[in-house]
Amino acid sequence: MANTNCLRCLARPAFPSPNILNATTRAGMGIQRRAASKLAKPSNTQGRKNEKVKGQKTLRIKKKAPVKTGKPPAPGERKAMRKRIVLSNTNALEVEGLRELDSKMLGEWEESVVRELQAGEDDLVMQGALGLLEGEGGEAKGEAKVVGKVVALMGSTVDSLRAVEAFKTTQGWGLFRRPGLLIREESVALSKKLILSEEGGVLRLVIDGERGTGKSLLLLHAMATAFVRGWVVVNIPEAQEVTNAMNDYAPLPGTTPTLYSQPSYTATWLSQINKANLALLSEMELTLTHNLPIPLQSNISLSRLCELGARDPDVAWPVFQAFWAELMAEGRPPVLLSLDGLSNVMRESAYRAPDVSLVHAHDLAIVNHFVGYLSGEKELVNGGAVLAATNRSHAPRSKSLDLMLTQLLEAQVGEEEITEKDPFEKGYDSRVEWALGVKEAEASVEADVEGVETASSPSSVKEVKKEENVEAAVEKVQTVPGPVEVLKLKGLSKVEARGLMEYWAKSGVLRKTVNEQEVAEKWALAGKGVVAEIERGALRMRI
Amino acid sequence: MVFILGNNFLENRLLKHCLETFYGIGTKHSTRILAKFSIFPGARVGQLPTKTINDITAELSTMTIETDLRRKMRDNIQRLRDMGSYRGRRHAMGLPVRGQRTRSQILTARKLNRTDRAN
Repeated sequence: MANTNCLRCLARPAFPSPNILNATTRAGMGIQRRAASKLAKPSNTQGRKNEKVKGQKTLRIKKKAPVKTGKPPAPGERKAMRKRIVLSNTNALEVEGLRELDSKMLGEWEESVVRELQAGEDDLVMQGALGLLEGEGGEAKGEAKVVGKVVALMGSTVDSLRAVEAFKTTQGWGLFRRPGLLIREESVALSKKLILSEEGGVLRLVIDGERGTGKSLLLLHAMATAFVRGWVVVNIPEAQEVTNAMNDYAPLPGTTPTLYSQPSYTATWLSQINKANLALLSEMELTLTHNLPIPLQSNISLSRLCELGARDPDVAWPVFQAFWAELMAEGRPPVLLSLDGLSNVMRESAYRAPDVSLVHAHDLAIVNHFVGYLSGEKELVNGGAVLAATNRSHAPRSKSLDLMLTQLLEAQVGEEEITEKDPFEKGYDSRVEWALGVKEAEASVEADVEGVETASSPSSVKEVKKEENVEAAVEKVQTVPGPVEVLKLKGLSKVEARGLMEYWAKSGVLRKTVNEQEVAEKWALAGKGVVAEIERGALRMRI
Repeated sequence: MVFILGNNFLENRLLKHCLETFYGIGTKHSTRILAKFSIFPGARVGQLPTKTINDITAELSTMTIETDLRRKMRDNIQRLRDMGSYRGRRHAMGLPVRGQRTRSQILTARKLNRTDRAN
């Protein structure tokens, strides 16, 4: 260790030179040389800068308390804001010459359905959704003018759709003057199938497709069609709300396996159903006798029945059952039963049974009711449809559901080899397989093929041609009750994309010339016309 | 205010959280109790009918919780101490019981390990 003092005079320097300090703190070889180099240039390490020295003043900035402006939102206000649906934008231009989705338009489609039947195209009905679409290709007639156009929704339909929560916050309703729907080939096909199913044959359809391909909107289109045609619409707007254990539940006595009712959800649901179908339900009176825990007058309307159920959650489920029994009575209108977010109900729910095991979603009374009709276990007596849409952006994956959908689709197209279960995969759900009934599907696909043969045989065509009565003609070619059909949605065609973009341009939301190049660009960038991506590219990410 | 097993709870509190305030009830037991009475996890105490609250109180009174559980634990430690076992001694000395090193951090042991342990 080198000494800091001068070795000759033994006197200590008053202020130890930093250079000397530097030199002396270095031990080992070559001290002198390094010291010399340090002496040569002035050192810039004048002690640590951040070192705290006692008594030194430091800058202290006090954090300001956040200024309170106004009062904080009341409980529930934020959620209301989050869930708010804006259906109109006064800044958007009104599009002239916009047709409405009304009974006239649906009447045209009905006529074309009849025409197709009479022309012997009845096999299209048998082949399921895809068959219908393929057949649609070159020979679309009356509806060809409408496909690729945007139609407006009628005021009453909008009110009803709002009541059944068919509009979602993620959809761009708030950009336009009034709510409108793009008519695509699939939606025409679906509408036609709905019209066909009015006569007693039930349409059971799962709408599937990639994220943003318009599954929920097709469901909305179906609901709008149903409202215009005078159906009763019973919609479960968000399947996850039924299964994610955010509502109270109670075991239903006398059910094996135990079913669980959800009193408050059912009550809200009943009030929604009532509000959406008010015009219809208020004219229908009770026809059956019910054994309910509340006293019931015999001559009240179904609307009143729903109100009674909505008022008291404890009796909501029995009231719903009574309401449903009334709907299934003779002479009632067709019913559309629909659900969005199918995979949520095709797995275990978040509710727990008394033995702490998870309750399967199919054991929740509401879901059980829906799945019973989707699987074909129960029949909609007065005709109608059971529709379900999958969700691909915010939904749990259900392996069995995915498998079933693939299998059904393959069976529908008529592929020889059908995808089988992965033997090394865990997590399949036998109840889902039962519900979507792939075995039943295979059997009835065969039946379908037979049906097609018989239908295309000359005798039946003659029969159809003989029938001048429209309804009778429709009745002749009912779909064979069997599989759940699957409609796999893909991107829009370029014609549809163009129609949509022209509507945007007319609304003043898209400020560009819509020409072929522009459409092709947006269509390609949106993964071959995935409609949500076109919207994102054209309207939302505009810079 | 809702009265569960001698304690008062504000009506807008979650039942699950209220149950977990009792010594000896954690996530597992509270989930079990909720499942037993078919109550959903988001239920507030004020929403429940009196009958359910009484049932829950009855259920809680059959469980070894609060003072009973504390006494049980103290008895266990006392037993170790009375045997003269190493664990008993370590408890009495306020030192780690399970072979941890004592060179630096034994704050928890100092706080908790004693023959008349409170919680």
